[in-house]
Amino acid sequence: MTETAAGLKLGQKVPDFSLTTYDPVKGDFGKFSLQDQIASKRWTILFFYPADFTFV
Amino acid sequence: MGCDVVTVSTDTQFVHLAWQRDEKELAQVKYPMGADPTGNLSRMFGVYDENTGLALRGTFIINPEGKLLNSEVNFYNMGRNIDEMMRKFKANVYLAKKTNEACPSKWKDEGDKTLVNPGAKMVGKVHEALNA
Repeated sequence: MTETAAGLKLGQKVPDFSLTTYDPVKGDFGKFSLQDQIASKRWTILFFYPADFTFV
Repeated sequence: MGCDVVTVSTDTQFVHLAWQRDEKELAQVKYPMGADPTGNLSRMFGVYDENTGLALRGTFIINPEGKLLNSEVNFYNMGRNIDEMMRKFKANVYLAKKTNEACPSKWKDEGDKTLVNPGAKMVGKVHEALNA
């Protein structure tokens, strides 16, 4: 059995969040935040997957 | 239509680095790989499996105002179709400009047939509207 929380509703404003990232282009760690995306008027596609070293 | 793809798993950024450098399939990867070791973001989007500590295969499209427009979640054993993800993204961008239209299931890209002003007049006449 898979137990997950309810999640967000379509059409709702997503609460601000930020993530530490690994950026393969720079070969360095970085930060991604929704606030920055809104400030720079950019779309975001979040792509969740279970684990590194497996297929996505 | 600037867009950024961010991948997220409950692995740390250190493991992302190691995986991207090790796996030849990821040699061309250009998008940032987000680390959610606490599962907090995965929980917020409803894809965190409390029993495994892993995130399900969820895809979420957020517009430039920060509004959630699409969600798709697959179980562990099913991969996603990138063409369908791009179709949804393009449709969102198109619909942001054409607010009185709707993109039907076969819509693929700008120029394809849309439904204009779907409403009372179209009730029972979707076939005619699609084939006009």
